[in-house]
Amino acid sequence: MNDELQEVARRLGARAAERLDVERTAQAVVARLRTEPRAEVRVGWIRPAWLRIAALLVMVVGAGVVALNVRIPGFMPPVPSTTAGGELSELSGDELREVLESVARLGGEQQAVSAQDVGLDELSASQLRALLESLGG
Amino acid sequence: MPPAEPLAAVPTDAALIAAWHGGDEPAAAELVRRYARALARFLAGAGALEADVDDLVQETFIRAFRGLGRFRGQCQFRTWLMTIGGNVLKDAHRRSRRARVVPLGDDLRDTDGDPHEQAVADEAELRLVAGLERLTRLQRDVFLLRAQQGLEYEEIAAALGTTSGAARVHYHHAVKRLKEQMK
Repeated sequence: MNDELQEVARRLGARAAERLDVERTAQAVVARLRTEPRAEVRVGWIRPAWLRIAALLVMVVGAGVVALNVRIPGFMPPVPSTTAGGELSELSGDELREVLESVARLGGEQQAVSAQDVGLDELSASQLRALLESLGG
Repeated sequence: MPPAEPLAAVPTDAALIAAWHGGDEPAAAELVRRYARALARFLAGAGALEADVDDLVQETFIRAFRGLGRFRGQCQFRTWLMTIGGNVLKDAHRRSRRARVVPLGDDLRDTDGDPHEQAVADEAELRLVAGLERLTRLQRDVFLLRAQQGLEYEEIAAALGTTSGAARVHYHHAVKRLKEQMK
């Protein structure tokens, strides 16, 4: 039985092997090896053109933002959008303080501080209101 | 009459592999020619449909050539190729998830010799294939590498990352179970 089993095992797959076109398989394998590794290299090393352009754009925009921040300190301060018009009355105390601080940064830094060097803390309520109304349009 | 040119020595697998690494495409083609049929037999024995064997052979060689950096000569290139073939077949089965259909059509009738003898032989092969499918992958691979490909236990063990003693045990378990199937 052992010999019989081995004999059958030796025959197993013989038809598939005979039918295989070895030369065609060899050529197909070589052709695939010729093209597919190049595709892998392209992904790994030579990135697609659009990817390079996107990376360049990101670098240019990033450098621009950095340069603006260096030249104009406080560029794009986080001023809440609610500072416009009559919505100021709806702000809480903390929010109002934040707005005032933002305004102080903008006004103080861009105008190099007024001649009197007056701090916002020293403004009266009516002066503050007038200032906010002028800013809110 | 000019002196006869000496016969070119048949390059070893290692020489062909080295040549391929150096960009020699004919070396790769020669390795395919050398082992494609043995690989096809192994794949068919391991459960590949005859219609799929061609693609599976190609895929196995592609994976082998791509992974040659991992081949340390721990076993013969041919044996290593069979183990890769086993992985390729497993992946193919997982992808297709189709039931194994043993071809019973023209390919079993289209043979020479006594039809009755041929039918008996075919029947034995079918039972063996069915039995192999019930084995664990390791048992099946060890059995095929030993009984079909005629490899030594040491060689099989090196390819499958086990010991020759364990390979021997797997083989005997496989034979025992297959005999039960073949009764």
